[in-house]
Amino acid sequence: MLQMTNLSKVFRTHMIETHALRDFSIHVREGEFVAVTGPSGSGKTTFLNIAGLLETFTSGSYRLDGVDVHGLDDNARSRLRNEKIGFIFQGFNLIPDLNLFDNVDVPLRYRGFNGAERRRRIEEALTKVGLASRQKHYPSELSGGQQQRVAIARALAGSPRLLLADEPTGNLDSLMARGVMDLMEEINDQGTTIVMVTHDPELAARAQRNVHIIDGQVTDLDEGPRLALAGVGAAAAAVGA
Amino acid sequence: MEVRPILSALMRNKAGLVLIVAQVAITLAVICNSLFIVVQRAERVGRDSGIDEAGTFTIDSLGFAAGFDLRDTIAADLAVLRALPGVVAATPVNSVPMSNGGWSTGLALTPDDGTDSREGHSSALYFVDEQGLDAFGVRLVEGRNFRPDEIGELRQSDGIQADSIIVTEALARSLFPDGGAVGQQVYGIGSNNRTVTIIGVVEKLQQPWVGSTTVEQSSLIPAVVNDGNYSRYLVRAEPGQRDAVMARVEAALQDANSGRLLRRTRSVEETRAASYRQDRAMMSILSGTMLAMMLITGLGIIGLTSFWVTRRIKQIGTRRALGARRFNIRAWFQTENGLMIALGVAVGAVLTYGFNAWLMQTINAQRLPWHYLPIGALAVFALGQLAVLGPAGRAASVPPALATRTA
Ligand SMILES: Nc1ncnc2c1ncn2[C@@H]1O[C@H](COP(=O)(O)OP(=O)(O)OP(=O)(O)O)[C@@H](O)[C@H]1O
Ligand SMILES: [Mg+2]
Repeated sequence: MLQMTNLSKVFRTHMIETHALRDFSIHVREGEFVAVTGPSGSGKTTFLNIAGLLETFTSGSYRLDGVDVHGLDDNARSRLRNEKIGFIFQGFNLIPDLNLFDNVDVPLRYRGFNGAERRRRIEEALTKVGLASRQKHYPSELSGGQQQRVAIARALAGSPRLLLADEPTGNLDSLMARGVMDLMEEINDQGTTIVMVTHDPELAARAQRNVHIIDGQVTDLDEGPRLALAGVGAAAAAVGA
Repeated sequence: MEVRPILSALMRNKAGLVLIVAQVAITLAVICNSLFIVVQRAERVGRDSGIDEAGTFTIDSLGFAAGFDLRDTIAADLAVLRALPGVVAATPVNSVPMSNGGWSTGLALTPDDGTDSREGHSSALYFVDEQGLDAFGVRLVEGRNFRPDEIGELRQSDGIQADSIIVTEALARSLFPDGGAVGQQVYGIGSNNRTVTIIGVVEKLQQPWVGSTTVEQSSLIPAVVNDGNYSRYLVRAEPGQRDAVMARVEAALQDANSGRLLRRTRSVEETRAASYRQDRAMMSILSGTMLAMMLITGLGIIGLTSFWVTRRIKQIGTRRALGARRFNIRAWFQTENGLMIALGVAVGAVLTYGFNAWLMQTINAQRLPWHYLPIGALAVFALGQLAVLGPAGRAASVPPALATRTA
């Protein structure tokens, strides 16, 4: 589903070069639920951004669902993002001026679905997160946990293959965090691949697989760091189990 | 296009929306009404008076010497004028088009019964002799010119004694819509309900008053004004010689009779310029106002949209992260602007006609023709789309990573 090989990302600002990722390799298989942990500034968000085509990388290779994304232009990246990836952000990133219905509608309009199809998907997604009755409400009228559920509905509505979440529970108390985590597990059970960055070891423990990033490198994998670091092919059997 | 969500988001940003809508509405009202006035003034300024404006001028004479005789002076002056090289024709005259001073009367097909119920056809009166038509340079299209023996004298006390007149086509049409004006008798010029006969029709000769609603309706009367000691002459020079002839005429008339003052040697072109000076000033003031309004509105739109781009920067990043292409972001801002302008135009249409009604009451403006509204709407729409190009471009270049990088 997601395969990065010897990838590096260098940020250049003024005189400083930051190597946010170096010699970074990871393989996330279809249907996996991966939790990414690591200290602040280690490169977790950078990894997620590159995975979600929000940022480009400096060297190495990245294949997303079989597509080599290197050299894709901005429009092609946008389309790929729209079709294959759902994003969940720490700050929810709902659009404050749009009600829940219209918020979930945002990626669907960019997708070019017709009105009936969009309505069907929006209602289905909001039902899934338990907020179908509040379509006309605005984000400011919801609790944080509910807002994150709307964001999840928005990420799901386009039926993405891959869900990327950057500290989705970072702004929530533990009860609401658990609710969101339950929801994500449910989504994963239905076949969507999930990569989630989290600081919460309890939540990380609930994922099938943990990836630890330190200083821009994958250092530890609970499914066996040796396999992942070595690359790819061999790991498939081990993880599937 | 995603019109509905943009509209509902706009409704939640009422302050900015109201600001732009009000500004666009006022701009529309101002430019529609200003443009209308400018176009009207331009039409008026561009109008043809019907006479040879480039070749003609007037000169006034005021006798002061003891024993000054106006009748003799006019006869002698005309002889001098007509003998001068470069002079095509000369006539005594009371007024010329665009001079904004002159005589008028109402012509009618029935006698005046003293009840004021008669429908008069307004006409300016030009008193000339047999060279009048030539001196003005107007074209006779029907009938004949005055004969020298028809030229009478006019004293205020006696009223108009003439038996024949020449009228403009516009006046002839007003009096006799079915044609056949030549040979007809009309009331309103001759004193004591005497009729005069229309003996000829000229193509065009405007009244002296540029603001008149019947500016094309004039009559030529075969008479020389003989009152007091004042006379005025209209002289027409050969093409290209007017200025030389003007100087020559002043000198020759002064030589011919030193018992009078020569005043106001004025080309008709100068008369035109003086007469339309206000119109031209109005045109530039209003054009300036329109430009200033457009500029202010354009800057207002740039300002507000830039502010919105900054305030929505995270939203833009999020939309990009959710799959919006750069084009989608641009289109969003352009559409939003188009909607605001559309609302502004809707409000502005009402305001435009309100403003017009007020102008009609206060400065006697005319009803604004409907087609100024779409023209004005197009102008503010183009202005808005243009003004928003920069901020929309800036929005489109917001990187998608902003979605995860901002708090
Ligand atoms: N746009 C940028 N320009 C320059 N440096 C950047 C930029 N974005 C990230 N970095 C740097 O790259 C490194 C990795 O950042 P990243 O945001 O991926 O860390 P993180 O693991 O997500 O941290 P946190 O847990 O605090 O969110 C950091 O040193 C950061 O300062
Ligand atoms: Mg981070």
